[in-house]
Amino acid sequence: MIHFDEMACLLYLEGQLDPERARELVAHTGECAACRTLLRALERESHFLASALTEENESMPARLLSARGWAVPSWVWTLAFGIFAAGAYWLWTDGVSPWLDQLSNAGFGGTDLMSMVLFTGAFWEGWGNMVDTIQIAALIVVVLGAAGLIRRRLRRSAAITGVTITVVISALLFALAWPQPAAAADVRRGRAVSVPASETIHNDLIVAGPSVRIDGTVEGDLIVFTRDLTVTGHVTGDVIAFARQVLIDGIVDGNVRTFSQNATLQGSVGKNVSAFASSIDLTPKANLGGGMIAVASDADMDGKIHRDLLGIIGRSDLDGLIGGQVWIRGGTLTVASTSEIRGPCRFEGREQPVVAAGAKFASPLQVEITQEVRRSRFSTVRLVIHEIFSYGAAVLVGILLVTVFPGFFYATLREVRIIGLPIGVGALAFVIGVFVLILGILLLFVGVGAGIAGVLGMAPILYVGQVFVGAWLGIKIMGETSNNTNATIGRIAVGLLIVHVAGLVPFLGVLAWLVVHLWGTGAVLLGFYRMSRVESAAVPA
Amino acid sequence: MNPADQSGAQERIAQARAGNAEAWGELYGQYAPAIFRFCRRALPTREDAEDATMDIFIKVRQKLGQYDSSRPFSAWLYTVAANHCWDVLRRRKLRQDLETGEVENMPLEHPDPGALEQLLERHSNQEVRRALDKLPARSRMALVLRYYADMSYDDVAATLGVRRTFVGVVLLRARHQLRDILGEHRAANAAAGGAR
Repeated sequence: MIHFDEMACLLYLEGQLDPERARELVAHTGECAACRTLLRALERESHFLASALTEENESMPARLLSARGWAVPSWVWTLAFGIFAAGAYWLWTDGVSPWLDQLSNAGFGGTDLMSMVLFTGAFWEGWGNMVDTIQIAALIVVVLGAAGLIRRRLRRSAAITGVTITVVISALLFALAWPQPAAAADVRRGRAVSVPASETIHNDLIVAGPSVRIDGTVEGDLIVFTRDLTVTGHVTGDVIAFARQVLIDGIVDGNVRTFSQNATLQGSVGKNVSAFASSIDLTPKANLGGGMIAVASDADMDGKIHRDLLGIIGRSDLDGLIGGQVWIRGGTLTVASTSEIRGPCRFEGREQPVVAAGAKFASPLQVEITQEVRRSRFSTVRLVIHEIFSYGAAVLVGILLVTVFPGFFYATLREVRIIGLPIGVGALAFVIGVFVLILGILLLFVGVGAGIAGVLGMAPILYVGQVFVGAWLGIKIMGETSNNTNATIGRIAVGLLIVHVAGLVPFLGVLAWLVVHLWGTGAVLLGFYRMSRVESAAVPA
Repeated sequence: MNPADQSGAQERIAQARAGNAEAWGELYGQYAPAIFRFCRRALPTREDAEDATMDIFIKVRQKLGQYDSSRPFSAWLYTVAANHCWDVLRRRKLRQDLETGEVENMPLEHPDPGALEQLLERHSNQEVRRALDKLPARSRMALVLRYYADMSYDDVAATLGVRRTFVGVVLLRARHQLRDILGEHRAANAAAGGAR
């Protein structure tokens, strides 16, 4: 007798055997006890497997259950935040504030370095404006992205996150606008990289090392990452420098872009100079064919600038020639008798500028004295109005995220809950991100497209981070929601209100914002990662 | 699910599609426990299953417009869940036995029906689930798709990326592997008992 094998028996039980063979099997098992037993054993095994697999042996985890339920106010969290707020207020009024008053009485108030940098410094105010600009830019990008996606959703209901598209397009623009010759550049690394006077490099030069000295000729752009850079030779293209000390004592035919602690220019620059530095020194020998953009805490402008000077500068000294207009915003301005300004000159600062008798102006100096805005005076109307607008914008972005990118929103919200990991990722991203941001700002002057793409690609991530931290806070206080849009928006609004109010607390507010940005940025990046995993899994129609 | 329940579910799906959050909440409440258990069976850890359940429902909510209402909703849901879990395993490089060649050439020992009956009698559901955890990813997934989600051979084949004719082989191989693990477990218990 020919027996049926196990495979055939299984297929028969599963209804997969063709009818003719199934009939044969039935006939055979009627006569064969061994095959009948096997069939019965396999059938029992199937039932046993189904029973073991479908048994409800585990309860649903709380976080999955709660996503189904409705708002349950968590009084513990409310109480915790109340205690935290009261503690922060007590710490400020009884701890930090009297201590600062003592310091102020001892002559360290107001003008001490920390206050200058953190609260009253023109440098800080300048960055504040820049942050506002970035915030507006971020908002515009998010709105444009949302508008694009809404259009897309109207046509086809598939939801693909527009933020990803925006970032990818920004990155592509960034990559496309990157100076092309860099690809064919001469790259040098070493502890002390030097191009001797006798050497001519017929190419762009990219250099990295603790110390870089260019005495020879570079027939192209010079891009440097170093601690100390000295250029006494000739660069026919641009100089882009990330360095602690920069000294340009030679000839640069193109532009100079530098991000450094100290920048000293005493050579000749054919085109423009953009300098972000703690201290900028334009010596009497310096000769700029174009204009200058300076962001610095201290600047001495003794040389010649043939076009405009635009600056956000804490303390400015003008001693030389400026061929175009001057616009300076900052703390103080001193114009020496040797200086000559051939265009309109405008100064916005806290103090009346000091102008020496012999100074020459093409038109009368325009002065606007700005009130000293101390961030510590958080009750000022201006600050509160600004904060209300800022809060409104953040809530708007939150609404857009929930309604237009729900997948991305909820994926990121889950990442926020882990707390430690997103803060770590955010800190890492911040370190890398700051570099990208700086590069983006510098590129703003190299290539507008590249600069805008670089900054705008980074800014939305930084900006939307607060929405997720706010949502997390709101959920902690008001309880979970079952992915209900209106309830989620309510939680975002409450959470963001706490974030923004906490941000107004002197000192601690700065710390709070730092944590919010690190945490939020990390969560957004993890959310992107999560979405990329989710999107790639096939979904049947 | 009886026809009344089914029409109720279809109504809720239609409402959820139209943006009714309450209807979505009800759908979630109805199906989330089953999908969580499915993920729990298919993935290595409870945390993985929790994450996957949330991801699956996020995806289902996004793709609700693509659901063909002529098919049972639970079948569609399980297909989404199966694809997601299988993708999770693939990303973790846990799909070691992906090639169908080895399945074709695999010799399977003919079982002793009596021994098989005994094996089943002596093990609890919990022991079977523990043994399931030790199976290779594809074998485990095949058993879960077929005996938990009650998927057809066509759907199992589509999810696992094997030809339909191999589904039976994959299932039989998975059963053999499970029996081996349970047998080892029993032998280990017997040895421990003998030592005492």
